[in-house]
Amino acid sequence: MRKITGYMVTFLLANIITIGAMAQNITINGNVRNSVSKEGAGAVSVVVKGQDNGTFTNDKGNFKITVKQLPVTLLVSSVGYELQEITVTNAASLVQVEFKPTNILGQEVVVSANRVPQKIMESPVSIERVSAANIRNSPVSSYYDVVATLKGVDITTSSLTFKTPTTRGFNSSGNTRFNQLVDGMDNMAPGLNFSVGAIIGLSELDVDNIELLSGASSALYGAGGMNGTLLMTSKNPFKYQGLSMLVKAGLMHVGSNSQRDPAPYHNWNMRWGKKVSEKFAFKINAELIQAKDWQGRDYRNYARAATGGNVKAGDRASDPNYDGVNIYGDETTAEIRSAVLNAIGASAAPFLKNFIDTLNGGAPINVSRTGYTEKEVTNPNTVNFKLGGSLHYKVTQNTEAVLAGYWGTGSTVYTGSERYSLKDFKMGQYKLELINKNWSVRAYTTQENAGESYNTTVGTRLFNESWKPSGGATGWFSQYSQTYLGARLNGLNNADAHTAARAQSDIGRPVAGSTQFKKSYDSIRLKPLSSGGALLLDKSDLYSAEGNYNLTYLTGEYVDLLVGASYKQYVLNSEGTLFADSAGNINISEMGAYVQASRSFMERLNVTVSGRYDKNENFKGRFTPRATLLFKLKENNNVRLSYQTAYRFPSNQQQFISLVVGSNVRLIGGDKTFITHFNFTGNPLYDYESLRKGNIVAYTPVELKPESLSSFEIGYKGLLMESKLLFDVYGYFGTYQDFLGRRVTVQKIGTGAIALSDTLNGYRYSIPVNSTANVKTYGFGLSIDYRLPLNFTVGVNASSDNLKDVPSDFVAYFNAPKYKANASFGNSGFGPGKRLGFNVAYRYSGEFLYQGDFATGNLPVVQTLDAQVSLKLPKANKSVFKIGATNLLNQYYYNALGNSQIGGLYYVSFGYNIY
Amino acid sequence: MKYIMKKIKIHLLLAVSATVILSSCIKDLEKFPAPVVVQGTTPTLATLLDAPDMTIFKAAITRAGLMPTLANANLRYTVFGPNDAAMTSSGLPLAVVNAIPLTSLVPLVQYHIIPQTITSASIPNTFPNFQYPTIFNPAPALSALLRLTTFPSTRNGAWVNNIPMTTLNIQAVNGVMHKVALVTAPPGRYLWDRINIDADMTYLKAAIQRADSGVVAAGTLQAALLNIGANLTVFVPTNAAFQGLLTAQITAYLVSIGTPLPVAQATAAALASSPTIFSNPLVANVLTPTTVKGIVVYHILGSRAFTNNFPTTATSYRTLLNGGIPAHPGVSLVCTFTGPGVSAASVKGIANGTASNLIINPTPDPGGSSDQHFLNGTIHKINQVLLPQ
Repeated sequence: MRKITGYMVTFLLANIITIGAMAQNITINGNVRNSVSKEGAGAVSVVVKGQDNGTFTNDKGNFKITVKQLPVTLLVSSVGYELQEITVTNAASLVQVEFKPTNILGQEVVVSANRVPQKIMESPVSIERVSAANIRNSPVSSYYDVVATLKGVDITTSSLTFKTPTTRGFNSSGNTRFNQLVDGMDNMAPGLNFSVGAIIGLSELDVDNIELLSGASSALYGAGGMNGTLLMTSKNPFKYQGLSMLVKAGLMHVGSNSQRDPAPYHNWNMRWGKKVSEKFAFKINAELIQAKDWQGRDYRNYARAATGGNVKAGDRASDPNYDGVNIYGDETTAEIRSAVLNAIGASAAPFLKNFIDTLNGGAPINVSRTGYTEKEVTNPNTVNFKLGGSLHYKVTQNTEAVLAGYWGTGSTVYTGSERYSLKDFKMGQYKLELINKNWSVRAYTTQENAGESYNTTVGTRLFNESWKPSGGATGWFSQYSQTYLGARLNGLNNADAHTAARAQSDIGRPVAGSTQFKKSYDSIRLKPLSSGGALLLDKSDLYSAEGNYNLTYLTGEYVDLLVGASYKQYVLNSEGTLFADSAGNINISEMGAYVQASRSFMERLNVTVSGRYDKNENFKGRFTPRATLLFKLKENNNVRLSYQTAYRFPSNQQQFISLVVGSNVRLIGGDKTFITHFNFTGNPLYDYESLRKGNIVAYTPVELKPESLSSFEIGYKGLLMESKLLFDVYGYFGTYQDFLGRRVTVQKIGTGAIALSDTLNGYRYSIPVNSTANVKTYGFGLSIDYRLPLNFTVGVNASSDNLKDVPSDFVAYFNAPKYKANASFGNSGFGPGKRLGFNVAYRYSGEFLYQGDFATGNLPVVQTLDAQVSLKLPKANKSVFKIGATNLLNQYYYNALGNSQIGGLYYVSFGYNIY
Repeated sequence: MKYIMKKIKIHLLLAVSATVILSSCIKDLEKFPAPVVVQGTTPTLATLLDAPDMTIFKAAITRAGLMPTLANANLRYTVFGPNDAAMTSSGLPLAVVNAIPLTSLVPLVQYHIIPQTITSASIPNTFPNFQYPTIFNPAPALSALLRLTTFPSTRNGAWVNNIPMTTLNIQAVNGVMHKVALVTAPPGRYLWDRINIDADMTYLKAAIQRADSGVVAAGTLQAALLNIGANLTVFVPTNAAFQGLLTAQITAYLVSIGTPLPVAQATAAALASSPTIFSNPLVANVLTPTTVKGIVVYHILGSRAFTNNFPTTATSYRTLLNGGIPAHPGVSLVCTFTGPGVSAASVKGIANGTASNLIINPTPDPGGSSDQHFLNGTIHKINQVLLPQ
């Protein structure tokens, strides 16, 4: 890493030394304003026609540009306005530009599809784009939620601030098959292995745009990105200037079905961008979200198994072995006949042996400890504070150096193998970047600190042990068993005997929220997992460097050529609480390089081929090709065809995790060091599911391979009906190979032959494995956006994702509904002075089987309605009042089993200088 | 536990002639009609006692304070209910029920109640019998889980201990009642308590003491016979049986070493005339503790058998001797029914020429010689010593 940084510095210096300054002497002053509202238009591009020379208007609409001579023609442009050409002959007076808003579809420029700017209409792969204007007009409470309204997107909501989007299936909380990049930086937490989304990263006012690439996208962006890549780009302070503020105040938890008392939602945003000179600009921004979080409150009974599981009938009153989905501590279970009662019958009271044998009809008497609800063991306060800033220096006219940092901290709830309370989680991303018209180099680091994050299941189980141990002659299960037996001997029926037994053994159980509860729980959640507590210590880091070079200026006569390379190093540091790293940090390095060539034929056909090679030090190298073809039927009507591949190295957790979860299974990584550490050669492993069915099937750990996906796609995007209707449709077919899943195995404790009883008594390991089956996916999506008169817009989209050829014993975690759809109706400006706006958005997501390590079960249909009405104030600088609601009808829903259930959020907001 | 149970004193005033039992004819036993499932809130076990032939047992239940328990629809019990005739036959007419001290009445009544619903279909016909705890806890202050047990069986009919059930499966919402031909008396003493003082068991007592010599107290046979946790059947050869065997054996030995027969017979008779022979140094090298123990444990089954539990065709059962010699074939048991009751029963040792007959007299302890019920087992007197080899 140090070496790479050294190169970077040398490179930077070389560029600074070769600064070429041009003599300029005439300064034109101008102002661009909205022709309707007469407000100054900020962030408008003003370029001298035929030259590189250009600038942006500030937040008041003013600009200043220096030219060598007059007259010149200025090109004034911004998305949502008509392009204007202004000829300036005299620099003495202010150039006043009346900028006419237009409502033309399909004008956006995207960068991510081919890593070069191109019109969204001409993207050769499926791409969606969210602009700052979309965010402004959206009814959602957080900009990140706008992504969920794009076609083909599924979202998994762990809590108010923790959401995970993906496309084309395989969603979960903390999806590892969907890359998220913030200003070019991978924002996956290196240790916890989930993309932090909007928790760390851009604050709402600093979002310039979000681009979503659906489906396989490794060829340009490297490992991961099996299902898609989300690229979030912040606002450059050279372009977006001035002080902006946005304050939202809302209300959550209302209505008869609420999870807690009504509670406020606060969201404060601030951004200040300043162009100090033509060479130097900076910005700082901050965002604070504070609320009482949504809760997981699925209290249905769950049949926990080593893999999978299912919701079953029964509750605490009717099932002594009740294990509520969102109730913790009740995972501790025992079969009291074998654990306690048989011993009573064998020695202390042999005259009761037959009686004990007949209890419960001779069937096992499984009993679980009394748990606590998620509400009782998690901090209700969710806080998210983000701080970001950057320094921008134009080394030359075409070369900009950027030093940027994003830091965030938060408390939220995340669903992994268990529900984790992420308390005071911190992550920072820091980068140094040089961006030239033709090339860029970037070095960045991600620094993660899990703070006081803890595993609620483990924590609560340990808490139960702390006030009354489960085992031992006077332990909870002994007390329970004796009371149960005594109650049965006194003639109580089975249910009443269990009730009496629980009442007796729960004597002394701390009341949730009491001083004793808090004190005791705190001592457990603050003790590391490796020392018998629930605290996750994770200070893993990522160091990365990458460079891209567009050689088109040399090769453009034949092809447009782009090359790039990257290097990543992960440093895993969990002090044995998550990874097998108690002996010291684990380093993993990855490197890769790509090349892309593109050529147009007869202005109708564009062919782009690209290839990327990546090598992870623990795995063999991997080549991923991509080919795309764009055929122009006519202007703004294009058919696209693509063959894309993607692959993913096993995640850091799939390589090195070593963590015991609720069902007493140890999740381990696939790295070969585990084989010797747990002596799998001397004391072999057996397949758990087979053994449960009575078949002894040995399992020999095999070397893990990266999983890969090949995907074909065809699509069409076109502007129809005099450019009032934007139509986009795609269909895809993909094949997954070496799909990464997990398999549970059993190892005998002690010596002797493996036996059925070892499924309960043996060591159980969940080992990552590659599936030998080729799992296939297919689906389609389509969207229509229509511009009605008077600036009204209507949009609908629908998509379908499907999985087939899944072996019956294979858990795919596909987690996508067969159909989902969005519809919206809105207007960004109507009425007097076009100051009124509104938007109504509806979302439908079909039912499906959700498969997760935490819980598996059927999810019902989800339908939500969001709405907002806004009013721009006259004569105030782009100040907007908004009143809005997400989940307006307050119909609680969840999109992963065991995750938080989301109700209505009603808010008012005031924004100043929003553009 | 031994200590606990030694403190339990149960005085019962039952003196019942076994022949009375046999006069109660049982018609329905062969069929075991399927229980009628009861729904709703009545009848309860309490209301079942409103039947006109249950007045005395109802009076006993009422006096014992158990009526609310049997009226509680949420609890589950099986009641063995003697009707008025059975109560009277057992020496418990209404006047007695109203007169005896509660300390005697309550255990007696409680011994007829099992805290779970057991229809005849769930009572096994296999041997050994299931051991069902009653609601009688003889020493609740010592352990809440202490219970005296009963031994219902559907082998050779339907029985609770050695008392026949007359009407089965009378359903209530909170359990089931089986009518019984006589009161089942809860045991009050240990096996050893009888062996220790019975004038016709002095040879067995001496043999046990010889077998226990040199053994630490906790591991002795005597300790087992005083242990509530034990569950045994002891076949006790009468003193005459021991004397006959010992005399014959010693005589044969003396003749084999050249002693004239009359002398040998007289000597042997003199030696065998007292149970002290087991501690007599003259035969100490023959009647070693190990040899004697082998013979004694061959007389003990590791489960509780009433004569009505014996098979009607001879069948071998393991004895405690199998603890030391696992492959030993054990003893062969058989019984004969005349009418509903056992009229003859025998046990045969593997080396005996003939079977040893049980001396049938089921009059409750201490009066009888068969089906003598104790806290930790049963005793049946037999007319021959069982020979294991």
